[in-house]
Amino acid sequence: MGSRSQNLVLPKGAGALIQGLINERTGMFFDNGKRDQLIDKLAPLVIERGFSSYLDYYYLLKYDTASRLEWQNVLNALSVQETYFWREFDQIRTLVQILLPQWQAANTGSTLRIWSAACATGEEPLTIAIALNEAGWFEKASIEILASDASSKAIERAREGVYRERAFRNLSAGLRDRYFEKDGSGWRIKSDIHRRVTFGIANLMEEEQIAPFASADFIFCRNVFIYFSENAIRRAVRSFAKFIKSPGYLFVGAAESLIRVTTDFDLTEIGDAFVYVKRERVI
Amino acid sequence: MTSTQPSVGVFTTDIHLVIQVWDATLARLTGIGEESACGQPLTTLLPDLEKRGLLKRFQRSLNDGVVEVLASAFHHYLIPCAPFMPSKHFEKMQQHVTIAPLRDDETIAGLIVTIEDVTDRLERERELAARLAQGDEATRLDAAETLSDDQSYDAATLLDALSDESWRVRRAAVRGVSQRAAPEAISALLNSVVENHQNPSLLNSALQVLASSDVDTLSPLLDLLNGPDPDLRMQAALALGEQRDVRAVPALVKALNDDAANVRYHAIEALGKLKAVDAVEPLVEVAESGDFFLAFPALDALAEIGDPRIAPRIVPLLEDELLREPAVNLLGQLGDETAVPPLTAVLNSPTAPTDLIADALANLADRFEAQYREGSYIADLTSREISPTGVQNLLDALEAPDKKNLRSIAVVLGWLKRSGVDRALTRLMGRVDLRDDIVEALVRHGSTTVDLLVAQLSAEDLEVRRSAVVALGRIGDASATSAIVNTLDDESLAIDAANALGKIGDPQAVDGLLNLIGSGDASIRQAAVNALNSLAAPSIARRVNSLLHDPDPNVRESAVKIAGYFGYPESAGELMKLSSDRHEAVRCAAIEHLPFLEDDRAMEVLVRAIKDETPRVRAAAARALGNMDAPQVVEVLIKGLDDEDVWVRYFSARALGRRKSEESIEALERVLEKEKFNHVRIAALDSLGQISGQRIAGIVNKFVKDDDPDVAHAAQAAVEKSSQGN
Repeated sequence: MGSRSQNLVLPKGAGALIQGLINERTGMFFDNGKRDQLIDKLAPLVIERGFSSYLDYYYLLKYDTASRLEWQNVLNALSVQETYFWREFDQIRTLVQILLPQWQAANTGSTLRIWSAACATGEEPLTIAIALNEAGWFEKASIEILASDASSKAIERAREGVYRERAFRNLSAGLRDRYFEKDGSGWRIKSDIHRRVTFGIANLMEEEQIAPFASADFIFCRNVFIYFSENAIRRAVRSFAKFIKSPGYLFVGAAESLIRVTTDFDLTEIGDAFVYVKRERVI
Repeated sequence: MTSTQPSVGVFTTDIHLVIQVWDATLARLTGIGEESACGQPLTTLLPDLEKRGLLKRFQRSLNDGVVEVLASAFHHYLIPCAPFMPSKHFEKMQQHVTIAPLRDDETIAGLIVTIEDVTDRLERERELAARLAQGDEATRLDAAETLSDDQSYDAATLLDALSDESWRVRRAAVRGVSQRAAPEAISALLNSVVENHQNPSLLNSALQVLASSDVDTLSPLLDLLNGPDPDLRMQAALALGEQRDVRAVPALVKALNDDAANVRYHAIEALGKLKAVDAVEPLVEVAESGDFFLAFPALDALAEIGDPRIAPRIVPLLEDELLREPAVNLLGQLGDETAVPPLTAVLNSPTAPTDLIADALANLADRFEAQYREGSYIADLTSREISPTGVQNLLDALEAPDKKNLRSIAVVLGWLKRSGVDRALTRLMGRVDLRDDIVEALVRHGSTTVDLLVAQLSAEDLEVRRSAVVALGRIGDASATSAIVNTLDDESLAIDAANALGKIGDPQAVDGLLNLIGSGDASIRQAAVNALNSLAAPSIARRVNSLLHDPDPNVRESAVKIAGYFGYPESAGELMKLSSDRHEAVRCAAIEHLPFLEDDRAMEVLVRAIKDETPRVRAAAARALGNMDAPQVVEVLIKGLDDEDVWVRYFSARALGRRKSEESIEALERVLEKEKFNHVRIAALDSLGQISGQRIAGIVNKFVKDDDPDVAHAAQAAVEKSSQGN
């Protein structure tokens, strides 16, 4: 057990129960080597709840109908919010330079919807918005950018729109200065770009939560499946396939592969990027 | 459009091959109606059955009870008729036929014959074969993949593709053939190997198929191994290693004396892959022979076989500069304590291959630890044998630039209590891959490393600071106290620092820890409280008493936990009062600690709390009542089982388990039947298990198959506990 959990009781088998429940409800998978890390991250929540045993906390999460708020605390405690602007930009370049012109040619007058499904503190959807703005797309088409994350804390920060220096490690100073204003020790996104993105909370394991976002033309769900079990990835991708438009484009992180979990999407290389494409099925 | 009608028809015969059943599909496929077929001898319906050599297949199935298959590739059809759909390639319907005995108890009463119309498939197969033979690479690849993916196609169609000029096509063909390698395909492959072994593509593909097929290929490969052609003998040895069939070992051992060096080389490799313990002695002889070309693979093979008895034979090879590296590795992998002195002797030489020896020693120790929990034995032996030159070699290796894998060197250095070692190790604490081993070494070296670790408390890297503070706590030397106290202000380090101070147990830490008990972070508060409780310093009582009145509720809550833990008599009155504090968390803490005060007023306060308080305090009261001895506790807790708040019910059920009172059995049983929240039922099951006895087993047994797995599991555990208590 880690340092935070040292003063709490972890009955035999309780770690595995918690590990399984977290995986089932959030998709996040902590293998046995990382179970201590999971237990340690939950320690403050167990203590705050007034429990001395993890088993009591497990029962709270599993059985107490009033535990919805507690699940939000769990997601806030476990979610990884380390990201930055212009991360894995090749896919966004492909969107802006290749896929959007194709989409526009086939969909005159429609509204394009892009969903950033695991947006953490907002760097990814804002990168998309900046890239679209740089290419003049907001003047050429009606575009809606939705962004969600399971962590309410992350979404709160995304809505605030203030970022520390580390988030700009991949963004040129020129772009940073054009789209951000100095705010104390950080940088605040300018409101004309910030308002292009609509932020919301959605757990990828809950179909009814993702339904309002997922009927999109393009879904970005990057660098989140690395924390998920294969079953959880399958569930999430199945939901994407159910709602995404046809043709619909799904972007996942460079280190993530869906080949073993879905036949709903075909992996295609477009430009410099790999994209999963859901095509219209001819029956 | 694809036909969705069934393409497999069935007929049955009696023992005399007179047709009994002729189903509608067969009638549709062949155009022969049921009324024309039934009652006819098969030889009347199909007069050329004997001439085509098929009658004996029917008779064999009748006589021997075996299943016979007439493959369409060879026999084309059983019942001559036109294809059901017009066909480009076939005038007659192509049929796949299965003939199986019909049994009546133990005796064979006739035959059941299935006839599948495979014309369409064969037509597609021919088209794919044409594309495979003549198309461009993309066309050939597409054809090969289609043929591979659909196992209904004949593997033989893919055989030519095994020597295709494109590796992608070859890969698809290998996959397809190996997935369904039939004896005839293997035989064709072996013929290809014999006839075309100069074609490396075909040979490689064929060997891959052989290696991954389920068909017994041993005897044809042994024939090749004993044949006259050295190239084929070499390929056979290679394939036998891939086949993982230990029956090949004697032949491969014999091949160690083959005239051709390449055959010997591949036989050695194959024996390694087969983990052939019987080949150890001849392989050691090869290693000792001084033939560099063969000694290397022989040592690799011995490593794969993993027989530790050969280790002493390997030691002399340390003298051979060319073979030293594999010999060292092998000793690390297989050696025992007797390998330590020779390995360390090599390390003690000025030109030692330090990394290599460190790897071997670390491997040896890891293995001893895993197998016998005796890794420290190897460490002690090394420490005894190593010379100053050996230590210097390790220190120099640690300093070498661009080192990626330093773990073994750090581990071996960690065994040595020598000047300069700890300092060198401490400098590497920033490396994630080494940190755990270094911390273990520094902790083992104890107080002499305290100053070095204290210096790391101001490292830039948080993880280094964290490791240092944890290590200092484990060493437990009070000279580190003030340095650790100084880190308590760092929120990201405070918990580890508090835990470390609790372990060191130096009363000098009291002030620093008391400064933390009002922290807004509940985990930090808890860590500080636990550390103070571990210190048990007399000065704490006086300090805590005044903190019970602190305006900050966090401080009051922590102070209550400390005063309650020690049960200071002078604090009892205050704790009683704080059980009515305006802050819920303080009341909870006070309530939970009342049972430890041995104060007569406690019971009254708890009874009132479980009746009148907020849900959270009522739950705390239920937990506390489980620790009280008063006779009325059970009755109060039974009432708690009907509380409107689920957590009060849950903790009441749990607390009743601690009381182990038979009076509560009926109430807990009621919980099992009526409670809608499963965790309360689980708590009731756990508590019933603690009460134990035959009656309990009868109650809880009903729930071992509950729909909820956690409930079922708790019921099973309760059954087991209750039976143990009998």
